Amino acid sequence: MTGARRVLLLACLALASHGCATLGLAVSERPGQDLVALLPDDDGSVGAAAVGNTSGSTDLVVARQATTVSAGAAPDQPVVLDQSEIDRIFGAALAAQPPSPRRFILYFRFESEELNDGSLALVQEVLRVVREYPLPHVTVVGHTDTTGAGALNVELGQRRANAVHDLLVDAGIDAGAIDATSHGESAPIVPTGDNVVEPMNRRVEVTVR
Amino acid sequence: MKLRHACMATCAAVLLTAPAFAQDPAAAGRIKIASGEAFLIRDGVETAVEAGQTVLESDGLRTGDDGRIGLTLEDDTRVSLGPNSEVRLDSFRYAPAEGSLALTMRFLRGVAVYVSGQIARLAPDAVRLETPQAIVGVRGTRLALRVTP
Repeated sequence: MTGARRVLLLACLALASHGCATLGLAVSERPGQDLVALLPDDDGSVGAAAVGNTSGSTDLVVARQATTVSAGAAPDQPVVLDQSEIDRIFGAALAAQPPSPRRFILYFRFESEELNDGSLALVQEVLRVVREYPLPHVTVVGHTDTTGAGALNVELGQRRANAVHDLLVDAGIDAGAIDATSHGESAPIVPTGDNVVEPMNRRVEVTVR
Repeated sequence: MKLRHACMATCAAVLLTAPAFAQDPAAAGRIKIASGEAFLIRDGVETAVEAGQTVLESDGLRTGDDGRIGLTLEDDTRVSLGPNSEVRLDSFRYAPAEGSLALTMRFLRGVAVYVSGQIARLAPDAVRLETPQAIVGVRGTRLALRVTP
């Protein structure tokens, strides 16, 4: 065995044993110890978290990276947990996670509470999701462009929201599970000056939770 | 006499508005999933919780041996608990138009999964997740927590 190869082997062994030791530390449950693990989002992307206390802090930036924290000490060096460990420890909480809220944007004809054709089709998708979710709650928020007076646009936004509300109720959705409100011209998707026709801003945002 | 009129008007205004506040506190979220021993803690009183119930700022949730709870907040944040777990919603403010955003959750024991919502997207520093030994700051993400008292 050459010297270089021996060094490599030793390094691998050291890494393996170190990995095992820290992994064991992370998953053993000790009184007074917290465990925080970073999980991928629904879409597979991975965010980041900073775990800290008065003694120090550590960042979690990789999927399934976890740290343990004990009283009076900084968070431990993070380790990456196996998926099987995540499932073993957090399986019950993961199983109780509600489905991800879904957002839909429906567009309207100019100065009207009539949906355009594409949005009429999208209403069917909204209905499909509402029927599929456990105890769905639907928020319907009407918006306008900046054409016309602000107060009138609050009313127009409300009429748009009510129109969508009625479509959902007519399709059998419980009216008690729908909140319909208006933001008027105050929350445009495309920011414009006053009195600007902008089809993108004439919309109702529907969120199914 | 004038003073008394003013006082009466104020009292009347208080009487008229106070019940409205008491009856209509803004819901911070809704229970989506509840099974086994699952409880809501409000003003120190613990009651069995059912899916569909609303959750308010300052409420707590607790599960027993076989309990599970899944909660979706108004900003799309999701929190779920496994058995023998407890969490408190210490603060919740979601009014993006007024720039008022805050979410503080305190995990007291057991296992939980947290998924970021709009508050974390709009103002990451407005989100604060506390465990007995640490404070967790999030950057748009999903976390799993275990607290062993």
